[in-house]
Amino acid sequence: MLRTTLAGLRARPLRLLLTAVAITLGVGFIAGTFVLTDTMDSGVQRTFARSADKVDVAVRPKGGSGGELPAGLMERVRGVPGVTGVHGLVQGDAALVGRDGKAVGDVPTVGMSVPDGRLLRYELDKGRVPRTRAEAVVDSRTAGREHFTVGDQVTVLDQGNAPHRFAVVGLVDFGIDQEASFRGAVGFEPATALRMTGRKTYQEIDVLGADRAAVAAAVGGSYEVLTGEELGVRLADSAGADTKVIQAGLLIFGLVAMLVSALVIYNTFSILIAQRMREMALLRCVGATRRQVFGGVVAESFVVGVVGSLLGLLAGYGIGAGAMALFNAFGANMPTAGVTLAPRTVAVGLAVGVVVTVLSALLPARAATRVAPVAALRSDAEPGAGRFRLGWPRIVVAGLCAVLGVLAGLAGVMSGEKGVASMFAVAGAGALVFLAVLAVMPALIRPFGRVAGAIPARLGGVPGRLAVENARRSPRRTATTTIALTIGVGLMSLFAVVGASSKASSERQLDAQFPVDFQIQNQFGEGDRRVPHAVAARLAGRPEIGAVIEKREKDTRIGSADGTVNTLGGPPLGTVIKPSFVSGSAADLQPGTALADKDTAARQGLAKGRTVQIKTDHGTVPVRIAGVFGGDTPLTGLLVPGRDFDRYFSVRDPSQIYVKAADGATAAAAREAVQDAARPYPTVKVGSAAEIKEEFTKAIDMVLMIFAGLLGLAVVIALFGIANTLTLSVVERTRESALLRALGLTKRQLRRMLSVEALVMAVIGAVTGVLLGTVFGWAATRAMADDAVFAVPYLQIVGFVVLAGAAGMLAAVLPARRAARASIVESLAHD
Amino acid sequence: MTSTFASPPGGAPGTAAAPAVVATEVTKVYGAGGAAVHALRGVSVGFARGAFTAIMGPSGSGKSTLMHCLAGLDTVSGGSVALGDAEITGMSDKQLTMVRRERVGFVFQAFNLLPTLSAERNITLPLELAGRKVDQAWFEHVVEVVGLKDRLSHRPSELSGGQQQRVACARALVSRPEVIFADEPTGNLDSRAGAEVLAFLRSSVREMGQTIVMVTHDPVAAAYADRVVFLRDGLIVTELFEPTPDTVLDRLKSLGG
Repeated sequence: MLRTTLAGLRARPLRLLLTAVAITLGVGFIAGTFVLTDTMDSGVQRTFARSADKVDVAVRPKGGSGGELPAGLMERVRGVPGVTGVHGLVQGDAALVGRDGKAVGDVPTVGMSVPDGRLLRYELDKGRVPRTRAEAVVDSRTAGREHFTVGDQVTVLDQGNAPHRFAVVGLVDFGIDQEASFRGAVGFEPATALRMTGRKTYQEIDVLGADRAAVAAAVGGSYEVLTGEELGVRLADSAGADTKVIQAGLLIFGLVAMLVSALVIYNTFSILIAQRMREMALLRCVGATRRQVFGGVVAESFVVGVVGSLLGLLAGYGIGAGAMALFNAFGANMPTAGVTLAPRTVAVGLAVGVVVTVLSALLPARAATRVAPVAALRSDAEPGAGRFRLGWPRIVVAGLCAVLGVLAGLAGVMSGEKGVASMFAVAGAGALVFLAVLAVMPALIRPFGRVAGAIPARLGGVPGRLAVENARRSPRRTATTTIALTIGVGLMSLFAVVGASSKASSERQLDAQFPVDFQIQNQFGEGDRRVPHAVAARLAGRPEIGAVIEKREKDTRIGSADGTVNTLGGPPLGTVIKPSFVSGSAADLQPGTALADKDTAARQGLAKGRTVQIKTDHGTVPVRIAGVFGGDTPLTGLLVPGRDFDRYFSVRDPSQIYVKAADGATAAAAREAVQDAARPYPTVKVGSAAEIKEEFTKAIDMVLMIFAGLLGLAVVIALFGIANTLTLSVVERTRESALLRALGLTKRQLRRMLSVEALVMAVIGAVTGVLLGTVFGWAATRAMADDAVFAVPYLQIVGFVVLAGAAGMLAAVLPARRAARASIVESLAHD
Repeated sequence: MTSTFASPPGGAPGTAAAPAVVATEVTKVYGAGGAAVHALRGVSVGFARGAFTAIMGPSGSGKSTLMHCLAGLDTVSGGSVALGDAEITGMSDKQLTMVRRERVGFVFQAFNLLPTLSAERNITLPLELAGRKVDQAWFEHVVEVVGLKDRLSHRPSELSGGQQQRVACARALVSRPEVIFADEPTGNLDSRAGAEVLAFLRSSVREMGQTIVMVTHDPVAAAYADRVVFLRDGLIVTELFEPTPDTVLDRLKSLGG
């Protein structure tokens, strides 16, 4: 029996190929995820091992990067017998000024200490290390962007924003330091690094020429002392934590892709087996038992699974390597150390691929062996054709899933407690309703096909009308083909709707509660950096300006936790800036009280009337909470009256200035006035209202794009499913196509007929997905928060359907060419 | 050897009018070199307008190949074929498709109908493909004659074999083609259903003036025709006018087929 199976597979390579493609893509994605993250891991490990090689002993603060090493400790280490070299690692802010006179980037570049000699753990790309206080090295990539090179003079701002000039003596690849790699970096000799970053302490002390025990004895028990090797492992571990998160995230999308693959494989096997009904009946007639025929199909699926998975591993290797190259091309600068294909990757890829394939073949195999051999031999009927009747079990399962799903969804939407629990309810509801749709889809294909095919049938002439009939003729087959596409498109639309709604919600809140036109801030954002009060003073007198609101803030202890205390200058709260109040009101903000934002209140258990202790510059002060406000505004933490703030803290410069243009002033004039006021300060940047909103929406857009990219694979697999179904249908309808050609259908019309059939299938799948995605996007939005705005990104969603339709037609190209090439005479004789 | 045939005595139906299809020195070779198969070795024959002609011959004699070449379903290796005033030899696939669409009707042995379309839409399919309007009176007449009036909304799977073949005949007739090619139209039918279809084909020639060329290996079916052309080994070897089953059978026997 096995020999028959293998002979059959060899005889029809196309059959093998069609099924294997879906498996290959699914396994490829999963294997690619492992290859990528393993490669990143091993690259990180190797790089850190190499850099740690240069250090004999390292002293680090206990408990990770939070602590610091005082300067005195450095002297003690230097005194340990045998020590030939010591380097105290300094890392802080030191903003490099670009050629345009403004600081480089959105966050200040990192100021790093760069040691001379063996302790230098970074790659020197060009020139040499800095040796005097007037010399610096620049991160190679930062230098590339800003067109700095060895011999140039650069300006770097110190902690007080005072400019210092340096001669660039070298370009260094700080690649292995993630922060430096992200923000860009300037390197100085150690003493200059301390001066420029304003630091008094070190993050790490690297030692040459002594053993661990001697150094440990010198520094005492309050610090961690590691050998070079241990340091390498430690550094690699903390960098590797990122790859674990990436891996988990990617694998979820890998599972979605595998689910879609399973549907495609199931469908392909169903069609193949239906078409081979007679071949199997013949086997039964010549003496094969039911079990042998069943075993034959399972064996075939096993072989297909193995072949597909092996190809998938190969593809995964390529995907992993390609993604790596892509990341690096986009400047991620990840250390590479050869692409890694771990035994675990091979095992998981093979297991997932084979198990999914065999499971997908079991149902069709069972159906195939239940037909009486003689009936199958005689039967001339087209497999799977005809009207689909919903059986009772299907109705019951679908009904149950639908009812439970709707209930869960309603529970999520209606529940008073918004947040994680109701989101989970909605997610569960989505899964249940999807199962219900999966169960009844075959019954929906005929009506859906009529609707989706209405336009092609009208515009496409005879080929169009025939195509719509063809798409509707085997409801089961079309249902499985389309639902594979529904998954990908559905999830994409869900994310699109949730994303658009979140953006709309935060924008609406900002408009209502934070109606300012400009935001002036030090480019270096939160931190310790502030905008000089003089900027606000210059603005206040300008006629183009309506209101100037200075926000001063101080990070301190609130109760038993870290928090921020703010105050707003300018017009009283409630006139321009109008936060929505959960309890209390703007008028309740009296001396000795504070308003808390909703998140802080929830975290700290604060409510109106409660008193909380704030750590001020002059000891702890009790403050009564006068109200709680909510919303997605730039106000977080406690808000206190200005006089109180002056008493509590010495902070005078605002961290942000919000500006509202005067009524009647043109936007251009107002912007000019604001920019005028900011011009003397190189690090002060002016943002528009749109830019303030963008801060809230940029991250959402980014996540949406990544999700869409990852779900793209599930869509591609589903498109292969459409191509599979069409190819097999073309084989099945060989004689029918020949008849049409004989009666006067041109080759072009035949091709168009298949394209339109693919189009109709793709549109059914995509529209179902878009509908489900939008409905559950709405439910998810309602479940997220009470005041969430529901927004549908119409353009994007219409785009999904149009793209899916176009891609479906693309999937039809090969099957259609195959059909059009066939000779009429030979096809008429085809059996 | 080439065979041409003079007009029979008495101007019997079948050759009197100008031919609807003419094959001249048609050869057809499949494959090349040593494996080449000469299916037609130089056939010249005309099929008269308004006549019912049967092509007979033993298996492998080339009768189906001849029909495919005459109908523009297959290209000839040598010689030429004219359908009415159209010389179809050397036409592109697209031109051939247009010729089939506008000048030819087909009835095949099996699988004549599209399973997704109702009987009515199967009948009007060639007109739809050609973008021509259905002549409602003619359509009703044809449907009436083939006796399918109450079956028009049925799908092929809901019709018997004989009914399906009659739908195919109606489809061939409704576009009033210059010639209908029938390839073993009764091959899959029992004798009663077969007789119905054949009687119908003959009456369409007699009463509607249709031209029909039918390939068959059944002497009884051939006897419905006005003229029978006999093929053997890719050549026309003889012909018979006003055939009966017995004379056809005799002629076949004399061919040694």
